[in-house]
Amino acid sequence: MKVKVVTKILEANDRIAVENRRLFDHAGVFVINLMSGPGAGKTSLLEQTLTQTISQKTDLKIGVVEGDIAGTDDAERIERFGAPVVQINTGGACHLDANMIYEVLGDLPLVSLDILFIENVGNLVCPAEFKVGENMKVMLLSVTEGHDKPLKYPLMFQESSALVINKVDLAPYTNVDMTKIKKDALSLNPKLKIFEVSCRTGEGIADWIAWLTEISKKA
Amino acid sequence: MHEVSIALNLLEIITTQCRKEGYSRIDAVRIKIGRASGIMPDALAFAFGAIKGDSIAETALLEIEEVPLTGSCRDCSAVFTTEAEYILECPSCNSASFSITAGRELDIIDMEVS
Repeated sequence: MKVKVVTKILEANDRIAVENRRLFDHAGVFVINLMSGPGAGKTSLLEQTLTQTISQKTDLKIGVVEGDIAGTDDAERIERFGAPVVQINTGGACHLDANMIYEVLGDLPLVSLDILFIENVGNLVCPAEFKVGENMKVMLLSVTEGHDKPLKYPLMFQESSALVINKVDLAPYTNVDMTKIKKDALSLNPKLKIFEVSCRTGEGIADWIAWLTEISKKA
Repeated sequence: MHEVSIALNLLEIITTQCRKEGYSRIDAVRIKIGRASGIMPDALAFAFGAIKGDSIAETALLEIEEVPLTGSCRDCSAVFTTEAEYILECPSCNSASFSITAGRELDIIDMEVS
């Protein structure tokens, strides 16, 4: 007996993502799914963002969900800034999924936040495929990873609304071709917004915060 | 990379559907995987084989249809297909403005039950 199924394999995940998004919209918080390979500087970007929003006395209220396979190091780094943070340990899974986010929503003061960053597990492949209910995906690439990454990992560049190129202070010490990174990334995704920053020196972070402030008003 | 979690989702969907239809065994299941979905068919077949034991899909054959990436140019209306995992420009007019019309699938088509 043949039975038609006609279902997306990730349908269950997508359904929970829609519910998460409804809760985020209701609370008026703009949600960014932050993705990159391990060590590109996701947590450092959040630390710099918090440092500068606090020193500039902007009234941008930021909360963070930290996704890691194991450990609480990242959440502890964020907690120092007094920002609401929840750590998720995936216990081996290579990405966050919508249900993991749904389970921790009650632990965050969503209504009082302007932006919630969901820092995904460090991985340039899988996180791009699982919606978690975000308004947009933002990815990081550090110059030390090399300029071949857009064409090697096209999906993440295509799914992201913005690309933050980190560690630009190290570019002179590497053979990285910045023009090629930007050209290939824009070929894959002509609408991609690109920022060049150094989370070590703070370079470029002001532009990034100005953009965050602008997009968060849309929530 | 996460073919096991995809296989678990697949198994959950088909076993639920099979019982709902009043059958007790899944003999075969047919799925579509887009070339740009990020999922490797061989790895998914291996993962499905590893997790289906002790379920009503224990003897089910997995048939995978691979879907090549297809784009449609917004400037010259050309429709093009590639074996690659991404498209950078329209091969006819080199425009960077195109839409992906196929190749991202991760869908179940149907299954054989008894």
